[in-house]
Amino acid sequence: MADGLLMIAGGAAAGVFGSLLGLGGGILIVPLLTLGFGLDLRQAVGVSLVAVIVTSGASAGVYLQRHVANLRLGMTLELFTAIGALIGGLVAFLLSDRVLAGLFAGLLVYAAVSMLRRGRADEAASPEDVEAVPVSMNGTPFAQSLGGPGYAVSRLGLGAAGSVGAGVVSALLGIGGGLVKVPVMHLVMGVPLRVATATSNLMIGVTASASAVIYLLRGEIDPFVAGPTAIGVFLGASLGSRTAHRIDLRYLRILFVVVLLYTAVQMVRRAVGA
Amino acid sequence: MAGHPPTANDHLDRSIARLLTAGTYLSVALLATGVVLMAVAGRSPLAGGPAFDPSRLAGDLVALRPEGFLWLGLIAAIATPSVRVAASLLGYLRRSERTMAAVSLLILGVIALSVLLATITET
Repeated sequence: MADGLLMIAGGAAAGVFGSLLGLGGGILIVPLLTLGFGLDLRQAVGVSLVAVIVTSGASAGVYLQRHVANLRLGMTLELFTAIGALIGGLVAFLLSDRVLAGLFAGLLVYAAVSMLRRGRADEAASPEDVEAVPVSMNGTPFAQSLGGPGYAVSRLGLGAAGSVGAGVVSALLGIGGGLVKVPVMHLVMGVPLRVATATSNLMIGVTASASAVIYLLRGEIDPFVAGPTAIGVFLGASLGSRTAHRIDLRYLRILFVVVLLYTAVQMVRRAVGA
Repeated sequence: MAGHPPTANDHLDRSIARLLTAGTYLSVALLATGVVLMAVAGRSPLAGGPAFDPSRLAGDLVALRPEGFLWLGLIAAIATPSVRVAASLLGYLRRSERTMAAVSLLILGVIALSVLLATITET
């Protein structure tokens, strides 16, 4: 059972890091299970999808109760993330472990760069600056009906296309997809960052379940791995969300960037068969 | 958002939030039970778990086998978002919001298609 305890501890570490830095645990679970425990990449992705569903569920409930997440916008976009996840879930079985490892390495580098840029933006801007987005009344009546207090939703077509992409990435690599969805909603559709983050969290469940069911029915989810990992990530994410306000994230962010880049190198080695 | 009378949107958000929270904690409780039973039985997670077989689920649960609780927890976790969409569909139908009801129905259709395609292309 030592492996089980290690899996819970590793999942908890992924959950704490992910929660503190707003990335979700998925981006660390796949490397943990592949590089740490020797699982196939596809098996790790299947387990990771379940873990992100479990961890996003509780926080999505809180965001909805506090009316931070936008249910109508989230449901409209998750129709497209689910379509992307369906495509990605099927394509994942056509790609080799090496190709998936290469794609994951690319994702890790993208996440590291995003983290560094976010860190600089946080230092340069006040919270009000981050929230300040133009309120536009353009778009169809349906798009206008998706807005919330103080903001309107624009460029729904581009948002839908970005959501399909987010769904494909989520299903291929076992992540929640916030790395794609949040910029699409905030920068493309004009949704305030806080609402975009909460709504993205709400969308994770449907997005991940559309592909998780494919992994499950095709025998790529091992319950003995998924159980301890999901419990660990859930506990870690709960701890992270309770302690985030007490921790100086600057140094943690740098450490995380180093971890992401180191993991990217390991994934590249796996991709080239070294 | 405090200070204004609750709207129909607020009621739906709250109902969906409660459902999400309940589904999540149910799946976590089932998975945690499975993990404890794994530990009691001395099963290593790396030994390879059994394949998913719905016909064995009830028997595994009655016999307190870890795989029964783990599979049920995984199914609860994966099904919770779909139940949330189904509840939204009912909420929107009750309020005659046809477009959002259609969106909800289409999401359920995509998930059903996932199940169907995974089943017919099962390896």
